[in-house]
Amino acid sequence: MGLSRVAIVASAQTELRTAWCDAQHIDLISAVVSSVFKGTGLTLDDVDFVIDSGSDVLDGRSISNCGFLGALGAHHKEEARVEEDGLWAAQYGVNKIRSGASSVGLIVAYSKPSESNVEAYWASQCEPFYQRPVGFGQRAANGIQAQRYLADHGTRQRDLADLVARRWADAAANGNVEIDALPDADAVLASGGGSAPLTGLMLARPVDGAVAVLLATEPIARRTSRAPVIVTGMGSAMNGHAFATRSKRGLVACEAAAAMALRNAGWDNAKPDIAEVSASSIVGEMMVIEALGLAPRGHGLDAASDGNISINRSGGALPADPIMATGLVRLAQAANQMGATANSVGGRLNRGLVHGAGGVAMQNNCVFTLEV
Amino acid sequence: MSNITHGGHVAIVGVGQTHHARRRTDVSQAGLVREAVDRALADANLSMEDIDSIVVASGPVLFAAVNQPEKWVVNAIGAQNKPVVRVTSGGGAGFAGALAGYYQVAGGFAERTLVVAYDKLSEGQLQYSISTLYDPFWGREFAVGIMGFSAAYWRARMDALGHTEEAAAMVAVKNRMNAIANPYAHMKKEVTVEEVLASKPLCWPIKLLDVPPISDGAAAIVLASEKVAAKSTTRPAWIQGIAYCCEADNAPERSLMLSEPLAIAARHVYRAAGITNPRRQFDVVEVQEPYSCFELNYYESLGLCPPGQAADLIASGATQLDGDIPVNPSGGCMGANPIGAVGIIRLIEAATQVMGRSESHQIKDAKLALVQSGGGWANLRGCAVLSA
Repeated sequence: MGLSRVAIVASAQTELRTAWCDAQHIDLISAVVSSVFKGTGLTLDDVDFVIDSGSDVLDGRSISNCGFLGALGAHHKEEARVEEDGLWAAQYGVNKIRSGASSVGLIVAYSKPSESNVEAYWASQCEPFYQRPVGFGQRAANGIQAQRYLADHGTRQRDLADLVARRWADAAANGNVEIDALPDADAVLASGGGSAPLTGLMLARPVDGAVAVLLATEPIARRTSRAPVIVTGMGSAMNGHAFATRSKRGLVACEAAAAMALRNAGWDNAKPDIAEVSASSIVGEMMVIEALGLAPRGHGLDAASDGNISINRSGGALPADPIMATGLVRLAQAANQMGATANSVGGRLNRGLVHGAGGVAMQNNCVFTLEV
Repeated sequence: MSNITHGGHVAIVGVGQTHHARRRTDVSQAGLVREAVDRALADANLSMEDIDSIVVASGPVLFAAVNQPEKWVVNAIGAQNKPVVRVTSGGGAGFAGALAGYYQVAGGFAERTLVVAYDKLSEGQLQYSISTLYDPFWGREFAVGIMGFSAAYWRARMDALGHTEEAAAMVAVKNRMNAIANPYAHMKKEVTVEEVLASKPLCWPIKLLDVPPISDGAAAIVLASEKVAAKSTTRPAWIQGIAYCCEADNAPERSLMLSEPLAIAARHVYRAAGITNPRRQFDVVEVQEPYSCFELNYYESLGLCPPGQAADLIASGATQLDGDIPVNPSGGCMGANPIGAVGIIRLIEAATQVMGRSESHQIKDAKLALVQSGGGWANLRGCAVLSA
């Protein structure tokens, strides 16, 4: 039995803001659900299923998807809540279409951390007996990860700050991210609220926003999208829970996820034209770049700077981290970049690599390979 | 969901559940999960190395106060460096997890997927947690858990159909009786219709004995593709169709008689499985009845009887163990109710029926089983058909 090939038909994303004060969750969700069909000729009636990502904890609401079903366009359809970054929701959707059971699926992820306590969101992920009592959480884990990385590879803080500043500039230019004032490297180094050796702006900034991605079988995508982008490989892997027991040499779960995706896609190596990756800190981004095989160990900064592979043109997750939606934003951004060049003669972006993460210090990792 | 039949064949090849209890003080959430996983793997004649991917399902995280608990229990499962994802859907979480696992296999992402579902309800404030389901602006002032909401469903049947308190009491009596033989149940006491009717009103017409217990428990299944199913068992339970639908409307806009999402799911699943006369074709049915009255709603929504005739169906004895369409020979939720795990438990009870090795009440020559599960505020509903 042959499996169907699945393509990204279209995507829609709200602006990513520190606080969408005048919009509720349902407003952000319905904004992307209603606009994702534009130009495709498809409507909500064509959608077989909806899969959504969001967090009960961030939403302050049990089974929070129940309150958003109308906005999600899910009424009387099959709906599933994946309580993990939206890239896993997309993984579920791709599987559903690949099986032949469905033709068109809507993937939605959203976040309003401005209404929540983000530190508590992370701390409550830590097991309650040994980690929580000592105050362990995302901030501490990022700091320890960065200390180790800088000690191992001698990376200069100033170089990291330069890259952070560039990420923010890219986000302002390409990422649909609200930014009041662009920080330069000095501002990055001077920013407070960090976790040594990471300064505040070296950590991913939680933002509010929503994103929707429309998936379909390849034949439907070819009829409805000017530039469908095919999902050719998917992989994911979760690391062990206790931070102290994880490998010191890097993100092994991210390596495993990438290996699985590349194997499924039939790629010999990670040489995409573009990559969109998630990260909880600038050092985390280096570690992801290396774990994905985009740079040798300790050389993530070079790969991020030399431009051979265009990594995080959208600015990535540091200037804008809509927790639970960040990886799906990466997928939408990568598909947009590839779609925009699909019909051009030169400069066509044929291959893309997308990464999403979840958990404290990126315990869980998901990788997609895209091709046009 | 346009056409469920195209997916590759997927089977349940191994099952395992804990001996459920009101309160397990000897294990953490992680230990509870491990028990079910060990039993399912042993039953499937496999070890974790044979498993390609894992789906974890549990109820709302507020139930036991660990956010994204799959990140903690991953070590207890032994699933480090494998794909692990958690699906949640309130009370239907286990079933929703099985659906996600089904598509991992049918979509070629995995040959074998382990789905483990659990809830450790002794560790949290259940009705408080459920109350946070309501809208923070207009619903929470009057939110009192899910019981008042469920009582409205029953009251509507009484008003519109003339159904009585006795009809639902008969469901409670049947399921509580059946649970006595279930080795995994912890609520094992025979009751009479009179005792149910005389039990303490909690939210009329719901009375104490119409309500299942609150439990700690876990359940796991191994799903396998056609290619590898035979390594585990010569008699798998094939999933002939599975769907899980929702309704977005708030209660005043809904039908309180039939569950529309369940009827929609049943329509899709029956088409995929070739079911045209559910009452005659199914040998056994397992449903998730969070309150006795909901089983009546399911009879009609699943087409086991015409709309409005559920009270007649239960009164006829047809859904008893010796009836022509036994419902919940395992005792259903009345024997044990670790909410997030219940969807998997119902699948296990139905799977072991068609595998011919039910541990509570084997229905003779059972070949075709129907499973129902659901959650949310009675608006997430699904069903599956399993065959020998």
